Amino acid sequence: MKPQFLQGGFSRFWSVAGAVSVRTKILGIVLGLVALMGLGVTMQVRATLTRTMDAQLAEQAISVTRDLAARSTDLILVNDLYALHQLLQETQANNADVRYAFIVDRRGQVIAHTFGGGFPAGLLEANTVLPDEHHRTTILKTDEGSVWDTAVPIFGGRAGMARVGLSEMGVRQLVNTVTGQLLLTTVFVSVIGITAAAFLTWILTRPILDLAKAAQAVGRGNFAPRVPRWADDEIGDLSDSFNAMTRALAKAAEERAEREQLRARYVSGVIAAQEEERKRIARELHDSASQSVTSLMVGMKALSDACESPVLRQRADELRGVAAHTLDEIHSLALQLRPSVLDDLGLPAALERYVADCRGRFHLRIDLAIRGLGETRLPPELETALYRIVQESLTNVARHAEAATASVLIERRDGAVRAIVEDDGRGFDPGTAGKTEQRLGLYGIRERAELLGGKLTIESEPGRGASLFVEIPLKESL
Amino acid sequence: MRPLIPLIIILLLLTGCASPPESTAPLVNLSDLQPLPASSAGEVVPLRVAVAAVISPKGTAESYQPLLDYLSDKLDRPVELVQRRTYAEVNDLIESGFVDVAFVCTSAYVDGREKFGMELLAAPQVNGEAVYYSLLIVPKDSAAQSMADLRDKVFAFTDPMSNTGKLYPTYLVQQLGSAPDQFFARTFFTYSHDDAIRAVADGLADGAAVDSLVYDFAVARDPSLAERVRIIHRSPPFGIPPVVVGPGIRPQLKAELQSVLLNMDDDAEGRKGLEAIGAERFVLIDDSAYASVRDLVSAVGPVSP
Repeated sequence: MKPQFLQGGFSRFWSVAGAVSVRTKILGIVLGLVALMGLGVTMQVRATLTRTMDAQLAEQAISVTRDLAARSTDLILVNDLYALHQLLQETQANNADVRYAFIVDRRGQVIAHTFGGGFPAGLLEANTVLPDEHHRTTILKTDEGSVWDTAVPIFGGRAGMARVGLSEMGVRQLVNTVTGQLLLTTVFVSVIGITAAAFLTWILTRPILDLAKAAQAVGRGNFAPRVPRWADDEIGDLSDSFNAMTRALAKAAEERAEREQLRARYVSGVIAAQEEERKRIARELHDSASQSVTSLMVGMKALSDACESPVLRQRADELRGVAAHTLDEIHSLALQLRPSVLDDLGLPAALERYVADCRGRFHLRIDLAIRGLGETRLPPELETALYRIVQESLTNVARHAEAATASVLIERRDGAVRAIVEDDGRGFDPGTAGKTEQRLGLYGIRERAELLGGKLTIESEPGRGASLFVEIPLKESL
Repeated sequence: MRPLIPLIIILLLLTGCASPPESTAPLVNLSDLQPLPASSAGEVVPLRVAVAAVISPKGTAESYQPLLDYLSDKLDRPVELVQRRTYAEVNDLIESGFVDVAFVCTSAYVDGREKFGMELLAAPQVNGEAVYYSLLIVPKDSAAQSMADLRDKVFAFTDPMSNTGKLYPTYLVQQLGSAPDQFFARTFFTYSHDDAIRAVADGLADGAAVDSLVYDFAVARDPSLAERVRIIHRSPPFGIPPVVVGPGIRPQLKAELQSVLLNMDDDAEGRKGLEAIGAERFVLIDDSAYASVRDLVSAVGPVSP
């Protein structure tokens, strides 16, 4: 119960103390320590002083009263009331703490006292002493504070008793004066402590604040700031390490940027070479292989027409069918590799043709919409990239999505071209994205988009289909 | 946090230690002054006995207590001791009737007899006689052999009215053709004989004249005194300090008191009381016993103004 309470208290304390700056913490520690020390010392001195002074007062009360009792004996016995009165006055005059003194005769009557005029009610009864006692002291509560009332028997009680009241006021005033001076000293030392601590924390926290500022700049990617080494201490070492780290980071960033540039150049070279190669093969297939097969078909037709044997004619027709199929495949292959229509008629025509081809091949409902392109042609590398992106996306949909429909939207707007490919398939988690093959496909798309300064966004959830969003700015590619 | 806890405990202990020895409840208002109740007139009027300050008030109170107790017992009445600093004050109390019976000094009796008819009741008997002497004493190491050697010295008188302590030494100085004021360098009054002995023993005074009864009594109590003082002169005998009553005393009380005093040596308690004041018994004494003192008074001058 209690430790939990303590723990709760500590966590509450820390929620406040932990939230303030180091400067405030150090100031708080200094102030707290000085105040604690000051208060502790003050309390202890006050307690000790009070105890000592009280003991002194008690002793003084006894000695003054016994002295009075001894000196008043003969005066009481000879009934010299005037001298007795003088003696009491002297006793009071010579002891600043004596508030009152009076003599009680053995019949219990006050025969001399230091009060002018009358005598306080209840004072006589407040203390008494037996004849064989040394003394008796009691602390009286009076309207003037506590009074140490001491009673001493005179002449073994045969001449009555002497009573002296010592006021605590002098002692209390002294104790309060000393306490006040100590507290004043504490405040004075606190002020000095706070000033010193403020200076100290300024010295201590200045390099830390510099470091924090520099670290924020580094976080934003700015490696230029360096922190000065203020002092040859741990923080100075930290500053040096920080500067060394910043330098290393700057160098690493520079190298990375260089490598990145090289890689991009390499990748774009590879892609360009690949496209060129595909184009060449496609043209070769179209120009050379399909011409040959067409010639072959024409030859087969002529052969069939010239043949009189029905068996041979049928055979020739069959071969011509094979050749026609081969020609189709060659065309299809050429289209896959690099549709000449992309170069000749532009992206819309090429996409329409490719989508139409896909519908047939993948048995998939595909909607295609192209907006804002009009008659203008996009830069060839952009057209190629968009074509390849759509191609890769639809291939992915066909292979992995198990979708029934897909839609493709190409849109030119606000100085950028967007390509959106959506499907109603099983979807995937873009973060952990499916199989290696699929990830590779997506990587290719991203690579092509980024080479042209664009970016790829994928939105998908398992069971909810997927949408792939590519945006490429036109300015850079124009 | 942790190291603070013992510190706080120590501080609490330190502050907790300083507690006053005693304390009582009701508040006394020191500035609310009430008139003191008038001294209640006792239901039983005590017999007031005055003792002249032959010895110090404390010594008197101590040595006369057994005698007073005895009186109280015999008369079946409380007895109150009354002391005054001077013989004259005691004489005034006798004259006014405030005290019933008094132990006075010889010269005080002579004075009181003359002024208001003080009456003799009895006198103590010491060494079989009702007489005493004045002793001239000096410090043990003093070279003085007589009063003449004390010229220009410091002299201690006992009481202005004392026979042995003031009248007789004055007489001695007058015999030397001088007066105390011129003869001595300085004089002072001790108001009791034992204080005068002590003044000489301590070297405070170069000489003093004291009651022989008090001297013997004091030396008996404190033998070291005899080693510090020396007697250089003894006076002729004087009538011993008597027990007296005022002129207004009821004859019955006077007779009763006289009977008790005279028969004191007949019982043990009475003897104890006598022993305490250094007397063997009380005897009747005639006024003629004080004739020599009267002569002294007439030679020296009046003892009281």
